[in-house]
Amino acid sequence: MKVFISYGTAADQVTALRLQALGAVNGLTIYVPPAHTRQAALLDPEAAQKLDEAEVVLGVVATGLAEACRLELNGGVSLHKHMIVMAHPAFVHSLQQPFGPNLVVIDPDNPALAESRIVQYLKTIDAQKSAKTALLALGTLALGLLMLAPSD
Amino acid sequence: MRARRCTIDSSCVIALDHLDLVPKLSFLFSTVLVPKAVREELFKRRGAKDRVLGLFDTYAFFQRCDAYERGTVHFLLAEKARQGAEDRGEVEAVVQASQVGATVIVDDSWGRELALRDDLETHGTFWVLARFHELGLLSSPALRDSFASLRRYGIRLAWRLANGLLMRIGQKPL
Repeated sequence: MKVFISYGTAADQVTALRLQALGAVNGLTIYVPPAHTRQAALLDPEAAQKLDEAEVVLGVVATGLAEACRLELNGGVSLHKHMIVMAHPAFVHSLQQPFGPNLVVIDPDNPALAESRIVQYLKTIDAQKSAKTALLALGTLALGLLMLAPSD
Repeated sequence: MRARRCTIDSSCVIALDHLDLVPKLSFLFSTVLVPKAVREELFKRRGAKDRVLGLFDTYAFFQRCDAYERGTVHFLLAEKARQGAEDRGEVEAVVQASQVGATVIVDDSWGRELALRDDLETHGTFWVLARFHELGLLSSPALRDSFASLRRYGIRLAWRLANGLLMRIGQKPL
């Protein structure tokens, strides 16, 4: 299964790369856009192609929201991809309107809420079992990685 | 909890890049600092410059590191020069690690000794690959393939240790 991980800023890429490594050993082909694309105001052509090919899109927005990430996530919605956007509460305001049903807010004081939100969301979508499994696994791993991520 | 950082020497970058394992380093370290002298050593290798520049463009955690105590580097280099060699990359990796409280990833024994003298945590390519295996990011056959590929590529590693590990995990030694 092909997965596209869009990340908020260059600082969030490390979480995306860790998810990519974990996904790879579990048979997922995960594309993480290169770091330089976070500085662009246009969608990177290679990223656009990978987005088109992906069956599942995961957004990881913990430290900021670059325009490239916004474009990738909007692209995911336009292409009707199965998608979850995991976001820090600070970015809910800018993400709620465009990605409302797909948005999972990570509350550091109550991470279980995010987990149940993922499960609830998956119940509402009409997707193959493999896509739901991938989203559940990646969403849960992202939650764990973001909750346990050390800070500078 | 603080983010784990490391400085890295050229031989480790060459080995991990050869195996396409640089992105997996993000599992062990949130930031990998590449000293200027290490970059210069890498750029001298044919075809390596574009690959190394590509690593900086592609992976945000793989970062240039230029600020260091020049006096300390010169002092240590003078010591090494007296022994008939000069490895500025290793010295910068150790001095920068000491300044920022990072682990040193270096294969050369003198570089390791220098790091230990400064009470720094230090490891080499072998440890990185063994950790990937422990974390389940490299299967046992993939670990063996990685060691074999590095040996064919002419990378110097502690092959006795590598073979010991391979036998412990049920793989044929090289």
